[in-house]
Amino acid sequence: MLRTITPRNARVKRVLKNREAKTEENIKTAIFIRGSQTSQIVNDALSDLYMLKKPYAINFTKKNQIHPFEDQSNLQFFSQKNDASLFVIGTHSKKRPHTLTFARMFDHQLLDMIEVSIEQGTAMKDFKTPKSAIGMKPCFMFNGDMWDQNPSYIMFKSMLLDFYHGQTVDKVALAGLEYVISVTAGPMTSEGKPGKIYLRTYTISLKRSGVKLPRIELVEMGPSLDMTFGRIMEAKPDVWKQSLRVPKELKPKKKKNITKDEMGDTVGRIHLGKQDFDKIQTRKMKGLKKRTAEDKDDASTDKKQRVDDSDDEE
Amino acid sequence: MDVSGVLEAHKQKFKSVSVEGKVIPVEYDLGLLAAYDQNPVDEAELKKNKEEYLHSLSRDNAQLLFNEIFQLQTISDDNGVMAILPAPTTLLPREKPLPKPKPETRWEKFAKAKGIVNRKKERMVYDDATGEYKPRWGYKGINDDGSKDWIIEVPAGANPMEDQYEARREAKKERIERNEKRRQRNMEEAAVATKMDQKAVNKGDRPNMDNARSLKRKEIESQILISKNSTASAGKFDEAIKGDLKPKGIKRQFAPTVTDLSKEKAGNMSILDRVVGKNGEDLVNVRKAIKATKRQ
Repeated sequence: MLRTITPRNARVKRVLKNREAKTEENIKTAIFIRGSQTSQIVNDALSDLYMLKKPYAINFTKKNQIHPFEDQSNLQFFSQKNDASLFVIGTHSKKRPHTLTFARMFDHQLLDMIEVSIEQGTAMKDFKTPKSAIGMKPCFMFNGDMWDQNPSYIMFKSMLLDFYHGQTVDKVALAGLEYVISVTAGPMTSEGKPGKIYLRTYTISLKRSGVKLPRIELVEMGPSLDMTFGRIMEAKPDVWKQSLRVPKELKPKKKKNITKDEMGDTVGRIHLGKQDFDKIQTRKMKGLKKRTAEDKDDASTDKKQRVDDSDDEE
Repeated sequence: MDVSGVLEAHKQKFKSVSVEGKVIPVEYDLGLLAAYDQNPVDEAELKKNKEEYLHSLSRDNAQLLFNEIFQLQTISDDNGVMAILPAPTTLLPREKPLPKPKPETRWEKFAKAKGIVNRKKERMVYDDATGEYKPRWGYKGINDDGSKDWIIEVPAGANPMEDQYEARREAKKERIERNEKRRQRNMEEAAVATKMDQKAVNKGDRPNMDNARSLKRKEIESQILISKNSTASAGKFDEAIKGDLKPKGIKRQFAPTVTDLSKEKAGNMSILDRVVGKNGEDLVNVRKAIKATKRQ
């Protein structure tokens, strides 16, 4: 159990304040843990995934007796101690060879967890190609028709997006898009179980294309992992619902009287107010011309003058 | 002049930016820079030459994604050209629950009722005595309450031997103490209101503070009643205090003298089971019980 810290100086106070719940959250920190036994493949995968997640990542280099599907107290402790909410645990055993467990926390309690076994992996250092800079925002690609259907796929997709999407931003530098994480879902096995998934990482180069849009070329940078799904622990529905709550401040403000119809066209409703019939323009006609009081006055004096004129003549 | 040939030749020089062969249009979540390609993968091709197939598939989808991103509205910045991204559509869980709203203090409640609005005041104010700007409060502030005056007039009717400096210091200390007490009270009431109005707090609203005072009173009363029952004799031999709280709503229940025999037996057995049964260890301190019976 962690002792509660009472801040004794401003620095600690700032750090603790930064850890509090906020409307706009910090980038999630990930911890990469080696289990009691690991293989070279798992070690390579962990260090590569760590490289991609840097600088919001903590690498545990020592081995830990950790079995996330049996006991989660370790994870809770690490989560509280490091203010981290994402975990990758690498283990290797006869029963479950080359296994990575992706886990996610909500409020320092385990939310959900998915296990994948690496069938074939190539480390980043084995590709003699240029690498992306540290801390760049990746693009994601999920290929295949499985990603919305099976719980394992859905969770893995959500997990990967959560791990690497970084800060939610409203604008992005086009020159800063350096690499893509492309995950392809292979076909289901003959027994109807989830098949392999292929995770590939490429750097992007923009080429001239003669038009405004650039031509994209990809160069593999690594890691490259072929994986199969293992055990899965889904989130409890009520906790999941709570974790998806959006604070009022971040919700988009409703605009009045603007709707979208089925075709995706924007339809607006406008209130014109009361129409003033006196100012309405109808057909112009001399007889309908409105005469002001002044006009009337002028007309009567004219008449008088004319009468006077005639008198003078006589 | 026909330039179509020239244009065609110019086009030939570059590779195309368009991607063909997508039966289902690719979906995008540009807020996360993600593309979801729902088209089924080509199994035969995947088996035959995996790496090339995955590379070309990724390239095509990256091209489509970049076509979308480059069509977004852009602005130029110190960091170069920036594309303005829409809000993400894929929901990702939060790391921590929504921040808890701060409950109303008594002053806030009063100010709201009276329509008092907080006005911004400058931090530095002009000090007439020295002709300098000084902080309104805090270190070297002007609210030192005259405790730095070199001479103080003795107020009418005051004891001339009394130290007026001391009196001012005391008064200030008292005010600080009173304020601290109020802060404490606000915190206690807030804790009760937050506990009682979880519905609003979970929604992210301020808890209802309307009857925080009576709730706090109720809580304290219940705590007193618990403490009264917490003596060794469960409060049986305590002397009654005049005007003390009496537990409300506790009614003694008597079982009817004649009942179904099986029910009575089951009840007794359950008591016996709790005391000496498998789970009875927590209920009775066996060591103590043996000692007590031996003494008799």
